[in-house]
Amino acid sequence: MKIFKTIIAALLVVCALFMIYTSYTAKDSLPGLLERMDPQNLAETDSQMQRAKKRVTDGLMEDNKEKTLRGLERYLNGFADKLVIDTQVQYELFAYQNGPSMIAGGLLLLVAGIVLILSAYCKIAQARRLGIHVLLITVLFVGVYILENTVGANSMLMMVLKKGAIYALVAVAMNLLNGFTGLFSLGQAGFMLIGAYVYAIFSIETGNRAQVYQYYAGGLIQFSLPTLVSIALAGLAAAFFAYLIGLPVLRLKSDYLAIATLGFAEIIRAVFQYDGLGPITNGSNLLRKFPVFETVLFPFAVAGVCILLIALMIHSTYGRAFKAIRDDEIAAEAMGINLYHHKQMSFVISSFFAGVGGALLAMYQTTVQAKAFTAAMTYEILLIVVIGGMGSISGSILASFLFVAASEWWLRFLDNATVIGNFKVPLLRSGFRMVVFSVVIMAVVLFYRQGIMGDKEFSLSKLRDRFTRGKGGAGRV
Amino acid sequence: MSEPVLDLRHVTMQFGGVVAVDNLSMHINREEIVALIGPNGAGKTTAFNCITGVYTPTNGQVYYEGRLIVSNQPQGKMKQLYAGTHKEFPKEIVVNTPDKITKLGVARTFQNIRLFKTQTVFENVLIATHLHKTSNLLTATLRLNHKEERQMREHALNMLEAVGLIDVKDELATSLPYGKQRRLEIARALATNPRLLLLDEPAAGMNPQETEALGQFIVGIQKRFELTIFLIEHHMDLVMDISDRIYVIDFGRLIATGVPEEIQDNPDVITAYLGVYEE
Repeated sequence: MKIFKTIIAALLVVCALFMIYTSYTAKDSLPGLLERMDPQNLAETDSQMQRAKKRVTDGLMEDNKEKTLRGLERYLNGFADKLVIDTQVQYELFAYQNGPSMIAGGLLLLVAGIVLILSAYCKIAQARRLGIHVLLITVLFVGVYILENTVGANSMLMMVLKKGAIYALVAVAMNLLNGFTGLFSLGQAGFMLIGAYVYAIFSIETGNRAQVYQYYAGGLIQFSLPTLVSIALAGLAAAFFAYLIGLPVLRLKSDYLAIATLGFAEIIRAVFQYDGLGPITNGSNLLRKFPVFETVLFPFAVAGVCILLIALMIHSTYGRAFKAIRDDEIAAEAMGINLYHHKQMSFVISSFFAGVGGALLAMYQTTVQAKAFTAAMTYEILLIVVIGGMGSISGSILASFLFVAASEWWLRFLDNATVIGNFKVPLLRSGFRMVVFSVVIMAVVLFYRQGIMGDKEFSLSKLRDRFTRGKGGAGRV
Repeated sequence: MSEPVLDLRHVTMQFGGVVAVDNLSMHINREEIVALIGPNGAGKTTAFNCITGVYTPTNGQVYYEGRLIVSNQPQGKMKQLYAGTHKEFPKEIVVNTPDKITKLGVARTFQNIRLFKTQTVFENVLIATHLHKTSNLLTATLRLNHKEERQMREHALNMLEAVGLIDVKDELATSLPYGKQRRLEIARALATNPRLLLLDEPAAGMNPQETEALGQFIVGIQKRFELTIFLIEHHMDLVMDISDRIYVIDFGRLIATGVPEEIQDNPDVITAYLGVYEE
């Protein structure tokens, strides 16, 4: 088994290196190949083959076996040469066309090879598990990257993937608060708004400020920060507001947080449109001309890192304390867990990541306007959390992609009036999509009351157990 | 005699016009097992809640290991409403939340079992090790505290082993039979490293055999962890069996105190429990 794995790994690595190498050298090696395919050269080969063919016929006529065989050999060689050149040219051309994808694919094979070797020789189970996770993440990123290069960056699929990744982050952040700490908050859109604005305000390039803030004499802020710094600032700003709200509200022992955050989200939306703040927020006008996504990998990477951090925290001793508060506040307090501090921690962290999600949403939309961050957005995210399962990170991620895909893409056809032959399909008209969508959601909530995942997490080992043992109830992943 | 572990001085708890605990003064010495008994509604659990910080008493003081942990006097509207028998008010006001009192070394269990329902047996105990953490949010998230995390897990396992639940550690806490849930609550309280353990009706709902086993179990952990135990209990066999001293309250007032033999024959106690025969 070990030897077998090693051989496969070696093959994978060789393949990977070859793929990466050719995609780099394709541009240089193509002229040489084309030279070999030059009509003149080919004509020469053709005439050689003609002569060889004649030799074969002659040899047969003369019943000269040696001559026949030698002729045949030359004839076939000519064929093989042509075939080789043909394949090589096609391969190099492919590599030239899809260079970046080839490199990504090569990288994937390389990682696969390394992980295979790791699984064969490494005795530490944790390292092997880490290896498999690294491989899965590579598969995801390489897959998305290749998809982006093949179907185009502006295709519907890519739009859904980008928005899905952003919503996944925001939903997981909301789940941390609502699902894991048992605090009901309805301020997600408000914190996203802060994130989006802070990002936009700090990252608009200095040269474009005069144009964007045309009604406010170019605005107050006359500098521009790098993208990642602006995103971090967006998170910090949202976290700061959450801290202020939490100061009075989280000391109370009931669901006042939902009321306070809902009110906050409405107020902040109005405040950001206030004309007096125009030099900073551009009043009720759009903010635009800030850095946007260049590739779908960016939101995937940022959201991925953030979700990973949240997941690590939930599985730490602090996460256990959050879950204890959710299950029984009085018992948690009797176990020495300070309710206020831990609630505040969870709320501030959740809002931080909502702010980061807001910044990403700004990049996705390419413009920011306070009007868009309505309570409806909060409800969308709450819906994702409920459908995915309160207390399940993987459920929230899964549900975000499904939700975004369904609402933006799969159910779009319901909005178009359709005529088949002479028959006009009833009900299909603008707005019908939302009706069907609502029905689907009602069905999910009725029949999957726990959401898709309940409070379980998707896990490879459980999936493997299920396949190998072939049992395990439906709906319990 | 060294100073008492727990010392209550004139503790009064009044809800509106109802005086639930009235002028309760008592003390518990180191490594003693002391029981608090009384008819239903006598104010036993309220007294517990005053000690652990769930309620702030209207008046009175609580010392733990010589340190003032709770102290209050009637304030605001209570100044007029106050109906306790003790009218001397302490000057200091000390209010501690339950988590701070637990951190000082006072752990408790609940009359109606309060386990973390979605967690396994092991996780329930593990949560109780959170209070002595030295890691902060960042180091815990980035797994820089793995040494401490391992110690926490070992400690939790030790506690489960001590109460004999090690073989069900991965089961959901609520799936355990009643008696084991009680033991789990005790294990969880022990995991906070207490020196004083408050047990609120640990034998509630148990049959005589289970109750007897529980009695031995309580004495066992008292010896093993060198604990001071203060318990509320209705099962008189258990109380007489394991307690060194007993306090009896009725309508919030202390009516008797002494060793089990004295309490058994005390006419006031018998009256409180059985009522007075009026001719």
